[in-house]
Order: sequence, then structure tokens, then C-alpha cells
Amino acid sequence: MSSIETEGLTKRFGSLTAVDHLSFEVREGEIFGLIGPNGAGKTTTVRTLACLLSPSEGSARVGGYDIVGDPLKVREITGILTENPSLYERLTAYENMGFFAEAYGVSDPQERRNRIMALLEFFDLWDRRNDKVATFSKGMKQKLSVARALVHNPPIVFLDEPTAGLDPQSAKEIRDMIEGLSRNEKHTILLSTHRLEDAEKLCSRVMIINRGRNIIVGTIDELGRRVGAEPSLAIKLKELNQKILEAVRELKQVRHVYPDDADGRLTITVDDVYSATPEVVRSIVYANGMILSVNVVRPSLEEAYLKLVKEG
Amino acid sequence: MLVFRKDWREIRRNWLVILPIVGIPLIFSVLLPLLIALVPRVASLPASPLGGLEAIVNNLPSQVRVELAGMSSRSVLFYLTSLYFLAPFFLIIPLLASSVIASDSFAGEKERRTIEALLATPLSDSELFLGKILVSFIPSMIVTMISFLIYSVVVDFLSFSVFSGRLLLPNITWILLIFGLAPSVALATIGLTVMISAKVKGFKEAQQISALLLLPILLLMFGQISGAIIFGPVVVGALIGVFAILDLLVFRLGLRLFRREEILAKLA
Repeated sequence: MSSIETEGLTKRFGSLTAVDHLSFEVREGEIFGLIGPNGAGKTTTVRTLACLLSPSEGSARVGGYDIVGDPLKVREITGILTENPSLYERLTAYENMGFFAEAYGVSDPQERRNRIMALLEFFDLWDRRNDKVATFSKGMKQKLSVARALVHNPPIVFLDEPTAGLDPQSAKEIRDMIEGLSRNEKHTILLSTHRLEDAEKLCSRVMIINRGRNIIVGTIDELGRRVGAEPSLAIKLKELNQKILEAVRELKQVRHVYPDDADGRLTITVDDVYSATPEVVRSIVYANGMILSVNVVRPSLEEAYLKLVKEG
Repeated sequence: MLVFRKDWREIRRNWLVILPIVGIPLIFSVLLPLLIALVPRVASLPASPLGGLEAIVNNLPSQVRVELAGMSSRSVLFYLTSLYFLAPFFLIIPLLASSVIASDSFAGEKERRTIEALLATPLSDSELFLGKILVSFIPSMIVTMISFLIYSVVVDFLSFSVFSGRLLLPNITWILLIFGLAPSVALATIGLTVMISAKVKGFKEAQQISALLLLPILLLMFGQISGAIIFGPVVVGALIGVFAILDLLVFRLGLRLFRREEILAKLA
């Protein structure tokens, strides 16, 4: 079942077309990545779906509600992490959360308190709940912004560049927390990012957009296949010799074998990595090879992304 | 009231905003009546009791004219200044007190980049617009009423000696002025300022444009000083009616022109 569906969604600002006939769907409970370079139209797409901008053409339904016909309903069932933290610096963390909880209709004080406490504890901010946001670090503000987007427990969440401008450690922390939340609370998340690491680690599917246009939608593997980068097998051996190499090369499913004698590593491309792996391992063992590790190496999203954006 | 509570919490922690709200009314309510009382003592007054003030005196109700006829020039000046000349200032107090908050309402949120999350909430346009008006209106009216109270005490303290035990305030005109005209004028100008704040990019721009809204009030003030318009119960009552209609029009226009997309487009 789809949580978000768009059909020819277009947004123009004068002569500039920021979003150009985007059609895609986001399934219930998945983390869907919207990736693309700066100015690709990611933020405009998020703002349009969050009913902050009205589409110039096309249509979209969020949680079953039309973004033009039912904007209030769409706002009620969605949470948004905006491009900027959008926090009131003179208010405390708790006051910020309290305001947005009420604005999103969490009217029962006890329910509100419990939800805020659960989120602030999850994001390690409960001890700082009575401190003004102005005293927070950038990473803390970003965590609070994500918590704010979830304060009314919305089924659908838009996260616009959640790790932008953060140091690697803070970015990883935010990423891990989003992953944990998605697992625990089953939100459908539309994640807009230009950090491929975020998309690679969090998203079940991604859509690459450039100049407002949809270049491709699919899983990371599908994107890799599209640019001709199949998953491969990386096998580390105690010792690599000719007998082992010949045994592997004889297998029907094996296309190429790239040996690294110095490291005792074999990189093998095959037709289907999952069905070929047991055969490859068996052949190495029969050739008296001592296997230290076996890994499936997926094509890098970066590789696929750069190629597709260039083509697009 | 949610937006009002949130904004007020922020404002009361910002002394740069609180100072003009508290300081300006203090100047109006304490210093001005003191000046009225002190200036005639040091300045030479015209020989005629009504010297230079005939225009305004001629427009006053007949019983007031009769009353003034027997007074010294110092008493006439004190009477006219404290009851008539300074009355329009009390229409300016709520405007000055609310100017910073109203100009900051949406423009400040744009500058501080908090507007996007606010506009993404399911709060209705009227809740947002009215909340922003109220957070300027309520504090400014509270200070106006406190200023009126202080002003009345100071004027009565001085009039007690000038008019041998007579107290000038409050009277019906001033009660209508403070509790009827001042709020209705304030609502209209605050509403317009909030609308301007939603349309422009930043606080300074909003404040500069909204300063123009002082002009009609200044015209009222000069009209009063020149004697062209005299604040009596009928005039003030009529003005309350005019401004009440204007308030409704401003609110309806404000809601009609309230476009989340346009507000967001003005993000610097």
C-alpha cells in the first residue's frame, strides 16, 4: 500500500521549473530516499508534499489525502524536519516540543508529556530539556528537530537533509537514531539528502532526481545494475594459488576473477551473486583453499549516482 | 491562543523588545503631564487667558467655554493640554508599544528561519494570523491602560492644586478613548503591520513600512491641537464605530491575503 503517490508533480517558479513531472510512490513503512545534487528540486518536492507549496501541475496524495484538496489533513498526519532546524532559540527544548505537540493536536497534557519524554530520552536530550535551545550544539538542535517532527507520532515523516552540516560522528548518531525510530515506530519516511551515505544506510529504495526530473527509482542494487555495476564476491584466503584460481574460473556462473596475490583476496563477478556463492566456496574448499572471509560487495551508490546524474 | 502563548514566552525573555513596551508609556504618562505643569511656571504666558488657543476653545462645548472664561492662562493651558492636546498620544502609545512585536511577527520568524516549521503545522490561517495580532495587541493595551492610570494620578495630583481640589480624570471622553478608541485603532494598525510583516522579507522592512500607519493618528493629533477636531464623547464614539468596521475589514483582508507559499517565498 502506498503512503505517498505523485503523478506528474510539477512546481514552477516563474520561468524556472524546480520539479518537473515527478511520478513516484512511497510504500507504507519504508524509508524512501530522494537524492540529487544541490538545486535538484529535493526541498521543493518535500515542501510541495508537505503542503507548504502548491503544485503548478500534476497531483499527489499523502496518506490517502490530496495535497491540494485536503492540505489540513495532510499536515495533521505528517511530520517535517525542515532544511533549517526551525527551532525557537529563546524557548527550552521542552517548550519547543510542547508548542509543536499542541499545534499538531496532542491536546491531552499527560499524553503530550509522555510523548515528549519518550522522544527526548531517545535522542539523549531529556537532561537538557529545560535549557534554552540557543545553548545547544548544532547536532543537538538537529536531534531536537527530528524529535519535533515526530512529536505527534505521524505515520508519514519528511526529513529534509537530516545530517547536513553535521560532523561525521553527529551525522552517524542522527542516522542511527532515524534507523532505530523507523524500526520501532514504523513511520513511512521520505528522506531528502545529498549525502549518499545516508541513503545507502537508511533507504530501502531511492529516487535520483536532477533538475527536477526523475532519473531513476529503485533499490541500491537496481541502481547499480542500471549502471552496469553488479554485486560481486570478495573472498579473503589464507593463501592464494593457481589451483584455486583455476577451480574458480572453471565455474559456469563466474564471469571474471580479479586476484590480489599480495592480500590473498579474490574479487569475483558472477551472474547471480546469491546462487553462485555456495558453488564458489565449495570449489575453493575442494582446491584446498583456506577461506578467511566471504563478503558480497554491493555496487556503491556513489558510483551509480555520479553516472546517472551525469547522464541525466 | 497557542501562537500567542508561544510568542509571549519568547518576547518576555527579550529585553530589547520589552524595554520600548515599558519605556515609551512611562515617558508619556509621567513626563508629559509634569512638563505641562512645569512649563507655564518658567515660560512667560500671553496676557490674554486664551492667548493663541482661541481656535480650540471656540470648538469646545459651551459649558466648557464658560468654565474656561474665569480661569488664569496657566489653568487654561493645563486644562486644555492635559484633557485635549495629550489625548491623541494615548492612541499612539499602543502603536509604539506594539510596533516592534507586530513588525517581528512573521518577518522575524523568516529571519530566524523558524517560519517553515510553523507554517507546516495544521494550525489554520486564522489561528496563525490572530495569534500574531494578539501577542502585539494584549501587551500594548495593558501598558496603555496602566499608562492611563498613571497619567490620571499625575494629572489629578496636579489639578488638585491648580483647580483647588478638583480632579480632571477620568471623564467620559477619556474612558471612551482608552477603552474603546485606543483598542480599535490598535487592532487596525497591528493587523496591517502583521500583514506587512507577512509580505516582506525582514523585520526592518516591516517596521519602516508600518511607521506610515502613524500618519493618520498624527493627523488626529494635529487636528485636535489646531482645533479642527475636538475629542468629545460624540466624536470619540463615532471614531470607535469607524475603526471597529476598519478592524473587521483588516482582519478579513489579512486572512484573504494570507498565503503560506508567499510567506515562504520571502525567506531571505
